[in-house]
Amino acid sequence: MKPILAIAKLTLKAAFRFRIVALLALFLVVSVTALPLLIKDDGTARGFVQILLTYSMGLTVTTLGLATLWLSCGILARDIEDCRIQLVVVKPVARWKIWMGKWLGILILNAMLLGASGLVIYGLLEYRGGKLNEDQKFVLENEVFVARGSAKEEAVDLTQTVEEIFQDRMKQSSLEDVDQAQLKKQIFEMLKHQFQLVPQSMMREWDIPLGVNPAELKDKPLYLRTKFIAMSHKSTFEDTRTFPMFWEVGPMDSPQSWRVVMMMTPNVFHEIEVPPNLLDENGHLQVRFINNQNETFYFDVNEGMEVLYRQGGFLANYLKGLMILFCWLALLAAIGLSASSFLSFPVASFFAVSVLILGLSTGTMNQVVEEGGIVGVDSRTGKVEQQGVFDHISVFFFKELKNLTEVVLNFSPVELLSEGRTVTWWMVCKAVGQVVILVGGIFVALGVYCFSRRELALPSGGQG
Amino acid sequence: MSLARAVNPNENETSTASETVVMVQGLSKVFKDFWGRPKAHAVNNVSFQVRRGEVFGLLGPNGSGKSTTVKLLLGLLNPTRGHIEVFGRSTRHVATKRRIGYLPEESYLYRYMDSAETLDFFGSLFNLPSGERRQRIEQLLEMVGLDKVRRRTVGEFSKGMQRRIGLAQALINDPDLVILDEPTSGLDPIGCREVKDLIVELARRGKTVILSSHLLADVEDVCDRVVIYYGGKIQAMGTLKELLSTPDRLRITMPVLERETLERVLATIRADLGRKFSETEAQESVLVDCPSQNLESYFLDVVKKARSGAEETSGAVSGGTVARYLRSEESERVQAKDRILERLASSKEAPAEAPAPEKKKEEASAVDASKKLSALLSKTTVQAPAEPSAVKEASPASPQSEQRQENLKKASEKLSGLLGNKGNK
Repeated sequence: MKPILAIAKLTLKAAFRFRIVALLALFLVVSVTALPLLIKDDGTARGFVQILLTYSMGLTVTTLGLATLWLSCGILARDIEDCRIQLVVVKPVARWKIWMGKWLGILILNAMLLGASGLVIYGLLEYRGGKLNEDQKFVLENEVFVARGSAKEEAVDLTQTVEEIFQDRMKQSSLEDVDQAQLKKQIFEMLKHQFQLVPQSMMREWDIPLGVNPAELKDKPLYLRTKFIAMSHKSTFEDTRTFPMFWEVGPMDSPQSWRVVMMMTPNVFHEIEVPPNLLDENGHLQVRFINNQNETFYFDVNEGMEVLYRQGGFLANYLKGLMILFCWLALLAAIGLSASSFLSFPVASFFAVSVLILGLSTGTMNQVVEEGGIVGVDSRTGKVEQQGVFDHISVFFFKELKNLTEVVLNFSPVELLSEGRTVTWWMVCKAVGQVVILVGGIFVALGVYCFSRRELALPSGGQG
Repeated sequence: MSLARAVNPNENETSTASETVVMVQGLSKVFKDFWGRPKAHAVNNVSFQVRRGEVFGLLGPNGSGKSTTVKLLLGLLNPTRGHIEVFGRSTRHVATKRRIGYLPEESYLYRYMDSAETLDFFGSLFNLPSGERRQRIEQLLEMVGLDKVRRRTVGEFSKGMQRRIGLAQALINDPDLVILDEPTSGLDPIGCREVKDLIVELARRGKTVILSSHLLADVEDVCDRVVIYYGGKIQAMGTLKELLSTPDRLRITMPVLERETLERVLATIRADLGRKFSETEAQESVLVDCPSQNLESYFLDVVKKARSGAEETSGAVSGGTVARYLRSEESERVQAKDRILERLASSKEAPAEAPAPEKKKEEASAVDASKKLSALLSKTTVQAPAEPSAVKEASPASPQSEQRQENLKKASEKLSGLLGNKGNK
């Protein structure tokens, strides 16, 4: 372990003595401080958090991410090109230890810089949050500076209903030539759609199990987070109308039920504060929407209704969010080091940035997979009609890459923090497992393998 | 190791398994371009072995394959063909590297670290306990004359100073095998001499030294055996005696004779030769000249004298004592005797010395003490070294000679302070 630590320390020394740390720290501190001053928020708690937390954190992660890639490529590739590594590998240290030492050094550096940036952002949040008016302070305290758990309605199993309808249809008409699987899928989509629609004069009820002991939430307010679409508008995204929406929360027909009418705009998320102690004895919350408008509303099964409840404080949540961000940086460091294990510094940097861009091109990946290829997409069907070998290979490649990318990007700590949602320890463990150990492990294995086999004293600087 | 014998059947000297430190058999290295096409045949079918305690020289012009061989020995390159064993193991065997010290041909050190940090870092790679590491760092810095500039970063060092710290890092682990690639490159004459004395000292401790150099004087001064490379192939191999001696020639060195006496001696010699050769050949084959001191000896003499009034220097100072952990028992014994004699001698002679700093007095008395010690130890000395030793045949098999004794002392204590004559072996 001592050699690994010695190499990690050496990496840190290099970063400090070449003033990389000072420059990066200065840039980060200045930018996270200046950004909220340059971009005006709308004076609300949400607007303020959007800028300070989302943008500043995004800038920090982007800066640190690119710096990590550059540093990790340089720290090994430069050592190899300048032959310094020769003096290290002739010592009794296995090459994997040298590699891990470099990685550890970059991780420590990242932890320091991310911690410093996180501290500045947190300080600014506290400082500027204190300057909001009382109403917005209340919103901030209850909706942002908090770790809130989330609960949604359990998914309804439509399989039985789909099967019944399918059998009924089969009896009614001869459907032997029809693709039965496709028909069942259509029936399922139709049912799901009906399930999400609330026509005029109809009611939609959500029974949401919070999964906690009701006593734990005694006297604590709950928040309904909802979003809907008004179906009559030709373009849902341009709908700026407002509707008086009638909500009832609590056990059905109970005098304790809480009712409210709120003016709401379609296509945006609304949070409704619900008085405490409305859970039933099983810890379920019943929410009803009564449509008394001359309109049909659509509540998406995933985004339509969600209950948020207080679980803990912001600071611990914030730290857990930073830990997930740190996992991403660890992966980037592994990518950079892995590239420099078999490439020269400029080529390794290019390679690492290409991997990053490819990994972030989820839209393109989805498109290729959905269209079934890259060339010759039929404009009517939106699919490649005659798939060639190249299409098959590209679909396979992008599908696997998409799966891998999802494993990494399936975390959104900044979004969770800005919405005041809990970043659970499970999420942190999952990020460590998936991002660092699983995907990072692939790059670590590749890097260590290449570095161990590489001839480090070739006349061309070691490119083998 | 039977394999070691089989490798080089032409070598007459016997070797046992435990004695073979490096075994190279049929080694070739071809550098290839990006497309895998052969670009350069750096080493071509090379075989040799190095035994424990030897100072083994790899000699050859630039680009002859010496450094490539060294890098192959260290596992920095993979052989295209052939086989290498170091301490009976593959060159990639990690634990074996614990026994190896390496000084590369250039300064491949981290420029942003100072001397002490550099040694501390490399010491950590050997898992040395921090106390021992600190101790060795102190001794090594003193040995290479950088203890006064320990906080200056390596990037600020001159090439010679970088060489010195490079040498120190190669010795931090007290290695059994020291591989030195052009060790005197960039060093001033004093530094060169110190390095060569250090090599002799290491060999005396039973360490094996492989020295790669194109400087013939370096190799000649310290090596027991050499291989001479050209074009990636071994052109000659053997002990220096085997390679350099000319058995049909004879050199006699003596004090200057009277002209008449000299004429008589020459006449006798020529008359004797006249029986075997023609008169002209007999005349031409006898040469008489005054041996001249070589430049290195002369330079070191001048520096030695100048040191008595030495000024402060911002560079490396002349190296001090060989690090204690690198010294041999013999040198320790010599040093102990030295110290006794030094005390005796200095108590008598110090008042006669011109006023000088205390350290200088010590050095002066050390010189006197060493002379006394030499006299005590070499009662059978044939001849006082009135001439520089460069004109004498170096004789490793005559430990009684004053020259030898002086060199032993030089290597083990005031390395640079007691220099003057050439020829350690």
